[in-house]
Parts: sequence; structure tokens; C-alpha cells
Amino acid sequence: MAIAFSTLARRGGSRPVPLAWRSLTANKRRLLRSSAGIGFAVLLMLMQLGFEGAFFNASLQVLRALDADIVLQSTHKYQFATEDPIPTSVLASASAVAGVASARPLYADWFGLFWKDPDDGKVYLVRGFGFDPDKPVFLFPEINAGRALLKQQDTVLVDRRARRFLGMDRTGGQSELNGTKVAIVGNFALGPDFTSDGTVVMSAATFAAAMHGAAGNPPGMEAGLIKLSPGADRAMVLAALKKSVPAEIAVMTKAQLIEKERAFQADVSSAGPIFAIGTIVGFVVGMLISYQIIFTEVSDQLPQYATLKAIGYPTVYLLRVVLEQAALNGISGWVPAWLLSLGLYRLIGQIALLPMRMSVEISLVSLALTLSMCLISAAIAVGRVIRTDPAAVF
Amino acid sequence: MTIALAWKILTHDKGRTLLALLGMFMAILLVFIQLGLFFAVPLGGMLLYDNMRFDLLLVSSHYEYQAQPGVFSLSQLAAARASPDVAEATPIYFGFAKWKGGVGGSWPDLFVIGIDPASGALTPDSIATQSDALARPDTMLVDSTTRPIFGSLATSRLVQIDDRNETIVGQYLLGTGFMGLGVALVDEANFARLFPRRGLGQVNLGAIRLKPGVNPDRAAADLQKTIGPGAQLFTRAKLAGRETSYWTTRTSVGLIFGSGLLISIVVGIMVVYQIVSTQVTRQLPQFATLKAIGYGDGALAVTVAAMSVMIAVAGFAPAVGAAVGLYGAIRQKTLLPVTMSAGHVAAVLAAALVMAAVSALLAVGGLRRADPADVF
Repeated sequence: MAIAFSTLARRGGSRPVPLAWRSLTANKRRLLRSSAGIGFAVLLMLMQLGFEGAFFNASLQVLRALDADIVLQSTHKYQFATEDPIPTSVLASASAVAGVASARPLYADWFGLFWKDPDDGKVYLVRGFGFDPDKPVFLFPEINAGRALLKQQDTVLVDRRARRFLGMDRTGGQSELNGTKVAIVGNFALGPDFTSDGTVVMSAATFAAAMHGAAGNPPGMEAGLIKLSPGADRAMVLAALKKSVPAEIAVMTKAQLIEKERAFQADVSSAGPIFAIGTIVGFVVGMLISYQIIFTEVSDQLPQYATLKAIGYPTVYLLRVVLEQAALNGISGWVPAWLLSLGLYRLIGQIALLPMRMSVEISLVSLALTLSMCLISAAIAVGRVIRTDPAAVF
Repeated sequence: MTIALAWKILTHDKGRTLLALLGMFMAILLVFIQLGLFFAVPLGGMLLYDNMRFDLLLVSSHYEYQAQPGVFSLSQLAAARASPDVAEATPIYFGFAKWKGGVGGSWPDLFVIGIDPASGALTPDSIATQSDALARPDTMLVDSTTRPIFGSLATSRLVQIDDRNETIVGQYLLGTGFMGLGVALVDEANFARLFPRRGLGQVNLGAIRLKPGVNPDRAAADLQKTIGPGAQLFTRAKLAGRETSYWTTRTSVGLIFGSGLLISIVVGIMVVYQIVSTQVTRQLPQFATLKAIGYGDGALAVTVAAMSVMIAVAGFAPAVGAAVGLYGAIRQKTLLPVTMSAGHVAAVLAAALVMAAVSALLAVGGLRRADPADVF
């Protein structure tokens, strides 16, 4: 704890008295009450921040899982989850560029693959990815471990974190994809996003067969995934690739692709403002609660403060004590709320299949919000101490 | 006496009471926001249906929700139309196409509604009044809430949609809901031109209007026999229930705003409890005096409860006003149909009273310690 306690030098004694700490812990009942009050306001902020993070995690985690340094896709793509195929011939052009170790095709579809729930036979739209099992495109170890099995025609890997009504939470068995019988040969954990309820991964050949069944179109390649040779200069390869592929192919690093998707989601979705409103309200409520707490404490300790003043402690010292106590109140609410939110993130993440993760960023933002709401309300409440007239109190 | 005492305590220390009202106000506002968002999502899903004239909706037996409706045969709708109960039966077609004229060279996905604009099956008047313009080949109306990424929505703009050049002949206002980022409306002939492989034989929705006096439930049961397998009929009430349950249970919406609602109620309890218990502590000598002169614990508990309820009710009224304003702001910012209803007001008032009751219950614990012998 980086707070230097204001301490009373004990007359003639050796150890100083941490005054803010002492008055915080003097009344255990009150401490419990105040940390519960502040804690719930903090919990509210933490949940809102967690939901906002989960929203973006959900849309970005499939991109994060791509095993690529550079990605080729259509310049017309405004978001990843939209059909805008590019010719496979760009992979040959890309492979010829110095510094490119591999250029691999990723087939994808979001609106043309219908999956049959093996349990009740109902049919649902799912997201599907196809790739050459000899040319891995995902970072998921379970997908890569299942590559050999996928070489068998009409086999699929399914997302065990898909929405439960899809019946994908299983390891074996059979189902249908666009009316074709497929064998489930394994699974991986991805989770739904706000477009797709579940994901099926298969070989390019199985993908092509399934898509023929639905739309009669040969499937299009949605992205070319490029890995750099060891030691290759990323910027140089990027520039060379841009020259070697047609103008309607966008060449970007994986980080740029993720950033583009984040910007799109932030722009069109309401997630940012919705959860910001919740966080702000949590902050204001927390401020009111902590004002109430600090005001009461200051009022109750007024005779003591007046005594300190009378025996010569300056007003600045008293101010510091009150602000420190406010910060301690904030921390005593933040710590249990943060711990409780870990459990809630896990629970809600499991039930709602949302990627709710506690991050350093969420921790720091919530701590900063907590401390500022407590310190602001203390600054307002402290006026009373400043005006304390020792003569008036007694 | 106890109510009057509660009033006296509250009005004695005006600053503190104001703080209490402010806290309650914020807590109630928070409950309003979470509740508004919770219901806005299914409302967004219901947007098209709320702007549609029908007594019964004919849909595929594979119907999931509005944006994933499945298809049934036009002949089934024709069979329904032949029934003596039915006044009108309008086919509605949905399709997705690429809008090849987005900002920065992007090709955003366009949700296309194919419908006879003169049928009156959709309520915005601007659709029927522009039906002449829609009768020309390769013309469309665009929903005026279509997102900026689609670029200009000005009349007479030519945009390539998939492989055809379509002319924007006007706008209408219905809202895009969860249909997509942009929605266009075309007549049946133009829909068939735009989606040549699909044709008009496979329908997504059939809006059926019944003759006056016909009971929708009975008509639905009768028509089900006429239309044969592969399609089903929903009354408005049944459809609303189905769509709402889809959005609240099949997606994360219910859990996200449901948990937000729960936490905001707990936070509300904390705020009121904090305030009431402070009052109890501060007035402990007075309460002890009352006890000493013969008032029972019950009377004092009622006083505390009355204080809580007064704070809740007084905080509630301004919160309703603020929530109406905030709903407007959220609507503007998110295009979600966050709207105030009598149901919301009643539900939040109930929540406020529960908050007051629980926090009073917690605070009364402190009262029992008001031992006259201790205090003096």
C-alpha cells in the first residue's frame, strides 16, 4: 500500500500512531458497513467494465486465434464476419515474395452453413471455417491436434463453448451440416460472438462439399494467412506484398486486422455507451455512499479533531488524515469487490458463454475510479473539519 | 405518531436528507437504465412486427426469430388467403445483398425487404405513398436509420447492389432493429430481379389480416389445417412471447442486464441503509428516551421503515423524470428502442419500495441496541 500514513508523534514515545488506520478500524461494525456500501458500488462498476471487455473479447478472439503475421483479405470487407471472397491465386503471388514463409487459405462462412442439433434435430445457422489440414491456420492446440482426423471427408471439430441449444458440447457422434452427414471428431473452446452462436471447423474439402449443398456456389477464400520467415523484416515484406497482389486485396498485419475489427465494433455497436453509462452511475452512487460514510465519521470525530487542533496540529494535517481515511475506505471496499467479481466473471462467463476476463486494465481502472470517488467525496466532506473551532466544540 | 416522527427526523437535518434523496434518486435511475436496456433488446427484435399490420403471421415450421425465419411456399399463403376468415394475406421476402458503395470502398451487407408497397402491411405511410416510384425497375427505398457506413442515402443516388445498379427513390422510417446495419425496401418484381435464383415462390413471412370480428386464435387453428405441413401460424401475442424469450434466453442479453438490475437493486439497498442507519445511530439517545417512556420496539421499527419509504418515494419521482430524459439520450446514441412504459414505472416503484423495506430491516437491528440504561 503506497499510502504514507499521517501519524501522531507520540509524546516521548517511540512508535508513531497511524491515525487514519486507527479511526478506520476503531468501529468494526461501521467498517463492515462502509466497505459493503462502497464495495457494491465498485462491484457494479467492475461488472459493467467486465461486460464491455467481454463484448470486445467475443468479437475479437477468433481473430486473435489466427496463426498469422500478415493477413490478406478483400478491401471491401467492413468487418471480418462478412462474405467477400478473394481469389486463391493471391496465395501464389504472396508466396513468391521474399520473407514469406507460408501463405495459407482460410475458408469461412457466416450465413450459409446450417447445423443440425444432434439431440433434437433442429437446424441452426452457424459459423464455419475450412482449411487445409496440412496447413494449420489456428493457434488452438485442440484444432491442430485434430488435423489428422479432419483429413477424412465429412469430419468436423465443434466449439464446445457454443450456445447449448446447438448440442456441440460433445466429443463424438454424428450430425448434419447443410444436410450432409458429418462425424464430430473433436472439439475446441471458442464461444459465441454477437453474430454467430457456434463454430464448426473442417477441412477445405468438407467445407466445399457443405457449401455446395446450400448455395450451389463454390466456396470463396475469405482470407490468406501469411507467416514470415525467421528474421524477415515485417515492414519490408508488408510493402512488397502490397505491390505483388491486386489493388482490391488489403494487406495488413494481424494487429491491424484486430484493430480494424475493434474500431468497427465500437462504431456500430452500442456496447461502449451502454456500459459506460452503467459505470458512470456506479461511480456517482459510490461517491454518494462514500460521502455519507466520511461525513458521518468526520462529524463523530469532530471533538477529537478539535482537540488535535487545540494542541497545535495544523489544519493541513487534519486534511491529510481525512483524505487518507477516505482512500482506506475506498480500498476496503475495492478489495472484496474485486475478489467477488472474479467469481462473478467466472460464473456469468460460464452461464452466458461470455469471455469475461479480469485484466490488469480493468483492475487499475476500477481502482482509480474507486479512489477518486472516495477522495472527491472526502474533499467535499472535509470542509467541516477545516471550520472546526476548538472553542465551539467544547 | 411514528410517521410524524419519521417526518420530523427527516426534515430536521435537511442536508443529510437531501443526500439521502440524491442517493436514492441515483439508485432508482440505475434500476431504470438496466430495466430499459433489458427490455430494449427484445423490443429491437420486435421492431418490424410492431410496424406491421397483421392478425396472424404465417411462417416456416423452422422459424427461429425474425432475422432467421426460414421459408415456406407461396401456395400455402394463397391457401390461407382463400379462407373466408381472411381479408388480406401479404407475402414478405427477406434477402441479404452487398451494398457496393459504402464509405472507404467498403461493401456493407444490406438487408432487403421485398413487399408489395401498396399492400399496407407495413405501417409507415411513406412506403405506400412511394409505391409508384418503387414500381419502376431497379428502384429501392432505404430506411433513414441506415448507418453512415453506407454513405449517402440521397434520392436518385445510383448504388450497385450485388450485380445490379439500383436507384434510391426515397426513404422511409421504420428502424433497422436487428435486421442489419442498413435496410432497403423493394417491390416484389425488383426483389425477384435482385435475387434471381431465389424467385418469389419461397416466402419468409405471410402477414394475414382477418375479417372484422374473426377470433385470431380460432382462425389460427382452422387455417393450420388448410395450409398443410411445413408452415405455422402465430397470433400477435404468441409471436411477441416467442421473440422476447428468444432475445432474453438465447442470447446473453437477459443475463447481462438481469445481473446489472440485481446489482443496482443491492446498491440501492446499500445507499438507503447507509443513510437510515446513520440517522438511527445519531438519534439513538432520542430513540432510547422514547423506549424509556414506553414506546415499544415495534413503534420504533415503524418509524425507521417510514423514513426509508419516504426517502424512496421522494427519490422516485425525480428519477422517473430523469430516466425519461436519459432514455431519450440512449435511444439517440444506440438506436435501441429504450422507452418508458407504465409497466416500467410500476416495476421500478416496487423495486424502490423493496429497497426501502430491506434497508429499514437492516437498520432496525441497530435500534434494538437502544437501551435506555446504556445511553444515559
